[in-house]
Amino acid sequence: MNAKLFSIAAIVATAHVSEGQQTLESAYRTTGTAVVAAFEPQRLVLQTSSAVILDGRRELVYGVVISPDGHILTKASEIHGVEKLSVRVNEEAYEDARILAVNNEWDVALIKIDATGLIPVVYAPTSAVPQGTWVVANGVTQRKVRRLMAGIVSANIREIPPQGGAALGVILSTKSKELEIDQFAENSGAKEAGLLKGDVILSVEGQNVKTLEELTATLDGRKAGTTIQLLFRRGGVEKTIDVRLTARGEMFDDQMSRNDQMSGKFSKRRSGFPRVMQHDILGAKSIVGGPLLDLQGRCLGMNIARANRAESFAIPVEDLKTLAESLMKQAAK
Amino acid sequence: MRKRLLRKNRNLIAYHSSLMSRLILSLIVFGLALEAHAEPARLYVNDKKAPENLKDLEAIQSALIGVLPKVREATVCIDLGDGSGSGVIVSPDGLVLTAAHVSTGVGKELTVILKDGRKLKAESLGLVAMTDAAMVQILEKGPFPFVEIDRTGSTQLGDWVFALGYVGGFDEERGPVVRLGRLVRTAHTTLQTDCSLIGGDSGGPLFDLTGRLVGIHSRVGEHVQVNMHVPMSEFISNWDAMLRSEFVGEGPFAEKPEKGSGFLGLATETRSEGGLTVTKVGRETVAEKAGLLEGDVLLKMNGTVLTDRDQFQNLLKEMAAGDRLEIDLLRNGKPQTLKLRLGER
Repeated sequence: MNAKLFSIAAIVATAHVSEGQQTLESAYRTTGTAVVAAFEPQRLVLQTSSAVILDGRRELVYGVVISPDGHILTKASEIHGVEKLSVRVNEEAYEDARILAVNNEWDVALIKIDATGLIPVVYAPTSAVPQGTWVVANGVTQRKVRRLMAGIVSANIREIPPQGGAALGVILSTKSKELEIDQFAENSGAKEAGLLKGDVILSVEGQNVKTLEELTATLDGRKAGTTIQLLFRRGGVEKTIDVRLTARGEMFDDQMSRNDQMSGKFSKRRSGFPRVMQHDILGAKSIVGGPLLDLQGRCLGMNIARANRAESFAIPVEDLKTLAESLMKQAAK
Repeated sequence: MRKRLLRKNRNLIAYHSSLMSRLILSLIVFGLALEAHAEPARLYVNDKKAPENLKDLEAIQSALIGVLPKVREATVCIDLGDGSGSGVIVSPDGLVLTAAHVSTGVGKELTVILKDGRKLKAESLGLVAMTDAAMVQILEKGPFPFVEIDRTGSTQLGDWVFALGYVGGFDEERGPVVRLGRLVRTAHTTLQTDCSLIGGDSGGPLFDLTGRLVGIHSRVGEHVQVNMHVPMSEFISNWDAMLRSEFVGEGPFAEKPEKGSGFLGLATETRSEGGLTVTKVGRETVAEKAGLLEGDVLLKMNGTVLTDRDQFQNLLKEMAAGDRLEIDLLRNGKPQTLKLRLGER
């Protein structure tokens, strides 16, 4: 890594390579060990009240412990389709984690492990803290030790509309004069709902659609993660089906912008959230799912997306509490 | 590893304006501001190798929270039409510091967007092509929110700093995005921090914890911790030249327009009594924007008496896009003077 840093500096200051150049040792950089050591009290909270969610031995994402008996919130799209979920909290490993409920609009799943005596996070009274407030999140984990990354609240709380608008995730046939499905995008809600190639879309939420423009217009302003009722025809029979909408920009990989290209690994689902707080903790895309803590070790929110090289999103604590309650109710049914 | 510039490519239309009165005003105001402000106290945490406890962390946090509201107001988005960068206002009458690869040249027409969404007409002044420093002047009436510059170069390796900028472009609801980091490398014309920058940040401000401007964002490495800024010393040593709208040096961050690259957008014919008659004014050209009309009689350009079309063409060929023109003309028999800058061919 040092060699890389040097080559950059060489480009910048060829005429002054030896002239008064100084470099800070990596331990003292913002993510360095010496700086991170100052956050030991907050790290201890991550140690007991954040969870590591795994597929076998592979770490997928983090989670927020919300009950002593093993209820954990995590990022739904990162554990989608995983057959054998397991969890680590503190030094303990828990097999057979079950997904109890999912909220697609917020991309949050409630999972359950068989545990007792866990220490749930303590919610902060408000997410409305000033920009510049320190925040702490999970960093790369070790088997028994949670590590942390620190940053600050970095922009206004707001909605993140679905990137490119909400979409069904279908590619329509160019040959047919009807809205006939030809292909599906990766992570397509339409495919997930069970639609097939050759199905013809007839109406959305009771509104007839005959052209691509009409179809797009019915989806205008809708949120990612919400569902719409779709009428379609298959082999002469008309049927109704519920389809989950997904941000267009997250289904089609060819829409990588230049900023995306320089952002390393970002979350696949990073838009279409009703409300987020923003911070500048980067790390890997897998840092999401865990709690966002303040200097008092209280939970300000839950990390939900690494959007790009400079922006990370968290669900604010008020919304997280409401969400936790509704997912618990949903699970109890 | 390749360095990456933090804004997108775009084309620009050159624009004309006389700025002298504004420039002089900004000089005076700036001079006054300098004398009025004592050096703010250096935060003690900067002199520790690393923060050690809650108290140290809270000291950084409260300093940052204290200065952030004011400097956010002065951080602007610079809209180039088909791309955008950032900048920061450093005088109440709207002098903006930014990066040369954002302003791209001298005398370019730009739009400066304030935090509240107000769009202001602006023009690029001078730049330093080798180190990526540039100035822009807001052409509308102030006063504007502005920040203080660290003129002493007091920021040291390891100091806590923060970056602001319009990541990915202007977003009123989100506002400018702040990132905290440390000064991790210093070299003669570059500061490196671990405040992670991205496209749209270019030209945006880097501050110390007292809210003084210490650098302007320039470029990044692929690693998120490699982020480069132009230090204030580079602006200060080229200050007057940039105010005079000079294109300083040659270098990777801005390309100097070549001779003959200028475009006026006029058709003329030689007039038997001397001078040239305008027979056509091209649409959307600098000539049209300057107010030239069909039938105007051009008498002098930059003091040279115009005799015929060939001579006029040859004079223009020696000039470049962005160069200033002063044209003495007759309109309906009355003498008039128009000032403009050559557009791009």
